[in-house]
Amino acid sequence: MKAIGIIANPASGKDIRRLVSHATVVDNNEKVNIVKRIILSAQGCGVDRVFIMPDTFLIGYKAIEDLKISKELKIDVEILNMKIKGNVMDTIRATKIMEEKGVKCLVVLGGDGTNRAVAKSITTTPLIGVSTGTNNVYPEMLEGTVVGMAAGVVATGACSIDQGCKRDKRIEIFKDGQLIDIALVDCVISRQKYVGSKAIWNIKDIDMVIVSRAHPASIGFSTIVGTSLIVGKDDDFGALIHVNSGNKKVRAPIAAGTIEEIRVDEPRILKLDEAVCFKPTYNGIMALDGEREVPFKVGENIEIKITSHGPYRVIVDRILELAQKNGFFET
Amino acid sequence: MDLSNEKVIQMYRTMKRIREFESKAAELFAEGRIPGFVHLYIGEEAVATGVCANLKESDYITSTHRGHGHIIAKGGDLKYMFAELFGKETGYCKGKGGSMHIADADRGILGANGIVGAGHNIAVGAGLSAKYRGTDQVCVCFFGDGSTNQGTFHEALNMASIWKLPVIFVCENNLYGISMHQSRHQAIQDVADRAVAYNIPGVVVDGNDVLAVYEAAKEAIDRARSGQGPTLIECKTYRHRGHFEGDPTIYRDPEEVNEWLQKDPIIRLREFMLDNNLLAEEDIKKIDEEIAAEIEEAIKFAEDSPFPPVEAAVEDIYTDIVEEVRR
Repeated sequence: MKAIGIIANPASGKDIRRLVSHATVVDNNEKVNIVKRIILSAQGCGVDRVFIMPDTFLIGYKAIEDLKISKELKIDVEILNMKIKGNVMDTIRATKIMEEKGVKCLVVLGGDGTNRAVAKSITTTPLIGVSTGTNNVYPEMLEGTVVGMAAGVVATGACSIDQGCKRDKRIEIFKDGQLIDIALVDCVISRQKYVGSKAIWNIKDIDMVIVSRAHPASIGFSTIVGTSLIVGKDDDFGALIHVNSGNKKVRAPIAAGTIEEIRVDEPRILKLDEAVCFKPTYNGIMALDGEREVPFKVGENIEIKITSHGPYRVIVDRILELAQKNGFFET
Repeated sequence: MDLSNEKVIQMYRTMKRIREFESKAAELFAEGRIPGFVHLYIGEEAVATGVCANLKESDYITSTHRGHGHIIAKGGDLKYMFAELFGKETGYCKGKGGSMHIADADRGILGANGIVGAGHNIAVGAGLSAKYRGTDQVCVCFFGDGSTNQGTFHEALNMASIWKLPVIFVCENNLYGISMHQSRHQAIQDVADRAVAYNIPGVVVDGNDVLAVYEAAKEAIDRARSGQGPTLIECKTYRHRGHFEGDPTIYRDPEEVNEWLQKDPIIRLREFMLDNNLLAEEDIKKIDEEIAAEIEEAIKFAEDSPFPPVEAAVEDIYTDIVEEVRR
């Protein structure tokens, strides 16, 4: 079976950052269109089966219906038989089910938050993150057709997967020695107490940022590091920076259309598996990949590490180059 | 965002006042002591509370048939509200409007409204008025998901956007238009998606988290006050009771209802306050008791008030036919 999986998050790209910044709007009907393009190009590149996560907007059903009406659909496309809750647990469970079904590649439509949810349960399946979210550092802006082609190359084994994929880093959050959550890009320590509208944008509440990757040609809180120090996706280290302390000032694109001048100290490189330990002196919250997620309290034992246990990411252009060299596109 | 402990406690108090008012209204309606219909706001308290906590008394709101929560959050007086529900002369509309028409112009409450979608354009009018007069007032327009299929919704967003009016459109998406699930009456899942067609920001927030609603509303209201125009905020929420009192709600899956009950906005804020030492159990109990006493006092006021005289039926109306009737 040359199968791929598709997870499309109907809730991505709609949060308060459309109001507090000028973030992209991606409506769900466009997600249906992207899914259709992925299915058709995967079909054209040898995929014989597609599994799709069910969701509250029925993205998968709508894509199938349209492709059947236009008589373009030739392969089996199945919506996973799972009860949905309309929350992040759907993504986590769908990832697990798709791996059990033996998909060879998983395509994820969403932002950093959606990819983070997938990363919580994915093991060895290669992943392609397609940006339909807000501050997208982890997923890339990719045309659905190209995504379907890359997924097809991976699913059909047309080239060495190890050459075209890379195991990503992730940030692991521990409380009292227990792993409680992860992030793919950044972990922000904030003095805000509540989750609220989830997104984080107020610099004055932030004490520290830990990143697995950072670059000035990016967006979000990782750029507070990235404007001083580049941490590549493939580098075997991450970094930490204290915010609202130190004598240096940087201007960083913390949100769409938002360049903030921020006081920082020098970023510090964190080696893989090096633990950053702290005992909070205030009740606050950790924002993971841009969303307030994990509250912490005074006196808790918090430990944060960068590890190499992230998802196995398909490097889309590289995998297509390898396929081209192997004659994959010749008919 | 700066949010003081006092503000959080005030929002708890408001939500609790709404919950208790509505719970008593349900009881009184079941006993046959309230005429007409009541559409209760239980479960949706975080929306009106989180939004109105950002408003000044001089700001405006327009409301809906499910309006008690909006009126209370904007500072409405419980005595006059109960009196109106009872049809008494001391009520907000002299006992002639009932549950669905409560208004208090002095507090900027431009009226609940029995017509679905009728508040949108009133809100645009209020926004235009504020802009024309050069005040810093804003108008919040509350409405449900069902009303966004009405032409008035689209007309209102279009005009508010073109003229950059200080209007905040707050959709209380409780998933059902009367008994019809949203997926059966709209080709979209998020009403906020419709904002892009009118070139205004559209955001989705957890409508059962008063802090999330407060944050989004604050940004939108600040934006409106500073002349940047309207915003559409969609609050995902759920009514615990039927569309109206007496609705058997056979169209809802009990499991779905149960899931939403677990997300009760009042319980969530209560837990947040306890977790963060804003209040102790006994402090919350004291607030709850104060509110219960206030509700009892308001009901007594309403019960003790007289019904309007028969002649009042032809007062405060527009037509000349009145004179013929009088004769």
